[in-house]
Formats: sequence, structure tokens, C-alpha cells
Amino acid sequence: MDTSKSVVVLLVEDDPGDQKLIRNALGHQKIKNRLYIVGSGEEAIGYLERSKTGDTESPRPDLILLDLNMPGMGGKEFLRHIKADNDLCAIPVVVVTTSDSESDVQESYKLHAAGYVQKSPSPQELQRLVEKLAKYWFATSLLVKN
Amino acid sequence: MDEFKMVVILLVEDDVADQKLIKRSLSSNKVANELQIVSSGEQAIAYLKRSKDGEPNSPMPDLILLDLNMPGMGGKEFLNYIKADNELGTIPVVILTTSDSDRDVLETFKLQASGYIKKPVSLKDFQEAMQNLSEYWFVICKRVCHGNKNERRTHKCFVGR
Repeated sequence: MDTSKSVVVLLVEDDPGDQKLIRNALGHQKIKNRLYIVGSGEEAIGYLERSKTGDTESPRPDLILLDLNMPGMGGKEFLRHIKADNDLCAIPVVVVTTSDSESDVQESYKLHAAGYVQKSPSPQELQRLVEKLAKYWFATSLLVKN
Repeated sequence: MDEFKMVVILLVEDDVADQKLIKRSLSSNKVANELQIVSSGEQAIAYLKRSKDGEPNSPMPDLILLDLNMPGMGGKEFLNYIKADNELGTIPVVILTTSDSDRDVLETFKLQASGYIKKPVSLKDFQEAMQNLSEYWFVICKRVCHGNKNERRTHKCFVGR
């Protein structure tokens, strides 16, 4: 069994509290994963551009978790940008955000989000959400080999 | 209190034995679901046209499970078609196929598939995969509500516990 290979997740999230909660939740998952965190859409684009060059500090993510409400470039604008990139568009992006408005849900799926999860303020509930997300993406679905 | 609407899954699969196995796997799923089966990309398109028209026997799916290897219009061609549709493009499409080739995985994710499952062999593994799939899509994920036009009441999509 190849233990060096683990799933790379990029979290695009500006709130430090939520960054910590999601980091903890992913850290508890049985399936090995490496989490990289950026605090804005702009930083995420920078990260992904570096990953294209094979930068070992910025490995290409297998999955992106994306908050919608961020200052500057919002989540939807970032999603639109990445889905227009011929290379990066193959990375599944799951929206993980506080909003549950129908228009946010609809717009995200129109922009080809691969899921939409509403954050919970309860760490236990967030843990549960992340566990089901991980079970699907890490243990059920195949991912693009990088 | 949210009204519960049974989720509708559209299976696009030509192999009769696989249709049966998938139906069996989903029948024991904790999330109550209605499975609609078509055997080709062309039939799937016709089904979805009927859904759009509000035909009661062709309810709009909440999720599409898509085989890749089918005669005529293959899975990738169907996927490309549906993702170009303004309304249908928001329905998640999960590939469920025998191939696990890197190329098939890459191409389908590029076409905006929302998951790629290699068909498990045993019923038990299949049930587990379908359970993980339905808990992700129908319990924790929010989805776009595609109300059927002929329904008189407004339904809220099932909101996960």
C-alpha cells in the first residue's frame, strides 16, 4: 500500500475560526489527507498557478473547499475563473459556506460546483459534515491522478 | 417544517444485469429514493425533455448516475450535452462505470462530472458506495430544487438532518 500518497485538499476560507474547525475535522479523518489553506480567492489563484509549475510547496489539490463570502474576489468569481481554466477545471470544487440561500445554491451549481455544504457553528456537526464529505470524495469517488 | 420529497435518481445504464444490481443496492439505502432507469444517452435526453415539460411519470432527477460505455451516444457525449443546458446543467452527474482509466476520469471531470465511481463487484460494496453517495448528495449537500410544473403545492427540497 502506498502510504506516501495522500489526498491534497485546498481550503479557500478567510475566517480563521472556520479554518481551524475545518482543519481539525479533516485531521480526524481516517483517510490521509494534506490540507493547504488560503484566505482569499486571489491567494487561491496564486496557489493554483504555482501548482501548475510543480512547486512542491503548492501541490495541485485533488479537491477544493470554497467559502463564498470573502472580501475582494468572492467565491463565485473564483469558481468562475477556475472553471474557465482548461487545466484546473477538472478539480472538483465543493462550496462550504454559511449561506443557504436558494440563489447562492443555484448560482454555485450553475458555475459547476461539485457540491454545496452549509457550515455549522457546532464543531461536532461540522465534523459530521466533513466526515461524509471525506467518505464520498476520498473513499467512494475516484479523483484525477496528478 | 420542511416537507420531505423523495429523491429521484436517474440511472443511465444499458447493461440489464447492472441495472438490477444498482436497483438492489439502492433499495436498501437509508435515503428513500425513486429510481428511474433508461438504457441510453438518447433515452436519457428524451426523459429529461419530458421532465422539463412536467410529465408526472418522468420526474426531474435530483441526481444522475451515468455509465460511460453505451452504444450510440456514449456517456461523455451525454454529459457534454446536459452540462450545456441551462436548467439541466445544475443536476449533479456521477459517473458509475466499469472503467477506472485515468483518461476516462480526467475527461469526465473536465466535462464537470461531480464524482466518478468504479462499479463495485459485490452487492455489499455496491450498497456501501451508494450509501456514501446518497449521504453526501441527499443528506449533507444542498441542491437546486427542480419543482415539477404540475405539482400544485410548493415543495422544499429535502433538507438534510
